[in-house]
Amino acid sequence: MINMRKLSETFAIAAVCGAALLGASQVWASGSHGGGHGTSMPIGMPGKASEADRTIDIRMLDNYYEPESISVKAGETVRFKITNAGEFVHEFNIGTRAMHEDHQKEMMMMMEHGALEPDRINHQMMKMDMGHGKTMEHDDPNSVLLEPGKTGEVIWKFSEAGNIEFACNVPGHYQAGMMGKVNFK
Amino acid sequence: MKHLYLREKARCAFAMAILLSSPLAAEAGVYDLTVDNVTIDIDGIQKNGIGYNGASPGPVLRFQEGENVTINVTNNLDEATSIHWHGLILPFQQDGVPTISFDGIKPGETFTYRFPIVQSGTYWFHSHSGFQEPDGAYGAIVIEPNKREPFRFDRDYVVQLTDNHPHRGSRIMRNLKMMPDYYNRQQQTLGEFFDDAAKKGFGATIDDRMAWGNMRMMPADIEDLQGFTPLMNGRSATQNWTGLFKPGERVRLRFINSSAMTYFDIRIPGLKITVVNADGNNVQPVRVDEFRIAVAETYDVIVQPEEDKAYTIFAASMGRSAFGRGTLAPREGMAAAVPVLENRPLLTMADMGMAHGDMAGMDHSNMKGMDHSNMKGMDHSNMSSGAKPDPFYAPGSGLAPKTTDNGRKFLSYTDLKAQKPLYKHRKATREIELRLTGNMERYIWSINGKKYQDDEEIRLKLGERVRFKFVNETMMSHPMHLHGMWTILDTGAGKWNPIKHTVSVAPGTTVYTETEVDAPGQWAFHCHLSYHAASGMFRRIVVEGPETAQLEVKE
Repeated sequence: MINMRKLSETFAIAAVCGAALLGASQVWASGSHGGGHGTSMPIGMPGKASEADRTIDIRMLDNYYEPESISVKAGETVRFKITNAGEFVHEFNIGTRAMHEDHQKEMMMMMEHGALEPDRINHQMMKMDMGHGKTMEHDDPNSVLLEPGKTGEVIWKFSEAGNIEFACNVPGHYQAGMMGKVNFK
Repeated sequence: MKHLYLREKARCAFAMAILLSSPLAAEAGVYDLTVDNVTIDIDGIQKNGIGYNGASPGPVLRFQEGENVTINVTNNLDEATSIHWHGLILPFQQDGVPTISFDGIKPGETFTYRFPIVQSGTYWFHSHSGFQEPDGAYGAIVIEPNKREPFRFDRDYVVQLTDNHPHRGSRIMRNLKMMPDYYNRQQQTLGEFFDDAAKKGFGATIDDRMAWGNMRMMPADIEDLQGFTPLMNGRSATQNWTGLFKPGERVRLRFINSSAMTYFDIRIPGLKITVVNADGNNVQPVRVDEFRIAVAETYDVIVQPEEDKAYTIFAASMGRSAFGRGTLAPREGMAAAVPVLENRPLLTMADMGMAHGDMAGMDHSNMKGMDHSNMKGMDHSNMSSGAKPDPFYAPGSGLAPKTTDNGRKFLSYTDLKAQKPLYKHRKATREIELRLTGNMERYIWSINGKKYQDDEEIRLKLGERVRFKFVNETMMSHPMHLHGMWTILDTGAGKWNPIKHTVSVAPGTTVYTETEVDAPGQWAFHCHLSYHAASGMFRRIVVEGPETAQLEVKE
């Protein structure tokens, strides 16, 4: 199924993705880094299960969320229980709009190279070691990528109010409206 | 603005409860349409035409999936008429094609259509009699789905395009028959001949022109009907149809190409376009900068204008002889810059079928002709988008869409993937080859070398899955439209192949479609370019099946 040319392309792409993911982790930690990106917005940090104040259930459908927006308090740790009740692969990803836009480019590449299909994830391709221990796997604490019928969890501590969205960055889904606002109470 | 005379919309008691449990029992709407001689105003010039309920375009018919509609059509013309519900799945007697579905509607008569609405999405309706459709007899259909759609939007507009011509359709047909290049204002001139001779050498230029002459075609034959005014919802570029939005809103635009002859390349400078539906069927959302809409196709797109300013909807005709224009704006009366038409494309030897045909038969002068026009075109269109060349155009085709800037994406048929496939993917039970043929000098268009009048019908069996192989041996694009049953376009995506009602077959290409033969009766199957259909590129399809299946409707 997977031919050699595709594989070698995947390696190249994965290297790019790895670098981008690394970049993303710097963004959410930017509070402590005092990063030079004046416009970048801290979105919070991975939370501990033991500190979760409450649970929000998120259902992912084709191509929208239920609920379509959520409300949180600054400093609150939320456990998101996410179910993909649709027929396509969907993502739940917490970030700023700019972060989502960057991630959409990576997901587009994954789709073009067969690591991501409309209704399934090519786990083997995602897991491949690209060197330096980097893979295309979606194991970032601010997101889950789920096949139809699968469930996942994200525990997140929202540090301060900001323009934060939860979004599905599978190509086209964000633009079709599969995104929601995180409102701060 | 437009009035639809909704006489009565009877709802069952407990409609909501029934709606939830049984979508078919929900509603029964009665609609009245009159077919009228109308005046069409284009930039202050009054033109006689044909329309519905006193106007052209006619009203937007809004149906609900599951509704049983009754449509009374009264013919106020002094000639027979008909209405075809383009893209709707219905019993063949309701399909509105004179001599195939019914006898037509005589002057003064009222015909009542009755059928269930078994689908949702954007469609349109038009006369299937003579040249009433190019004369203005068309309107839009919007069907609300029972289930939530796989996309979100705050506003919803129909954007219906046409190519209004100052001549009536019957006169155009006469002129084309008399002189096929009657309406081609972009012929290559003697001046261009001497320019080319200076560049390529006299011998090569002679050879080039001789080659085109032998084909009875000219490189500028992209639009065999020019001199038209593109209209958007009945308005010219100057009359500027406007749709309002609040910044940040998602706007759904339902593009319908109701032109007689013209393909349009559409873009909205400053906005990305997310295509979510093609020919009434949802597709997996795909983000592009520009797209081409063939005659009779529909595309629903979502745009999200963020700024408090106007955006131009720009629809350039494929041959770049004219453009339509509308505006999305936060307030009435606003306008944005209108792009200029880019250089017009020229057909190449690839569009003559040379790339697929007999390569050995090509001499070097032809090759040169190819090098000059094509390779450049390829660089711009295909390389810049970072994508592979569009397989739905012949390699080196002069028609292959070119984006206006590097890095922009032009929609290809290969980007269309069904959101919810209507049928289980399976191997076709047989293949039928249909060569799209023509003689441009005599303005005869045909299938397998035979005009409609000179050939037999195509017979299909209920329950089979037939694979159509379209081989375009002409130099024009043909939007092939099958009535009554869906056309699954083989893009190589297997179960995700998109489901359409109209498929454009570009010159020099072979395109495969498959149809699950699930609708008994007899149906029309034709090129949707009005003057091609009228001059013979048309077939009757007969679906043979058991009587019991007669009125069964597909799930």
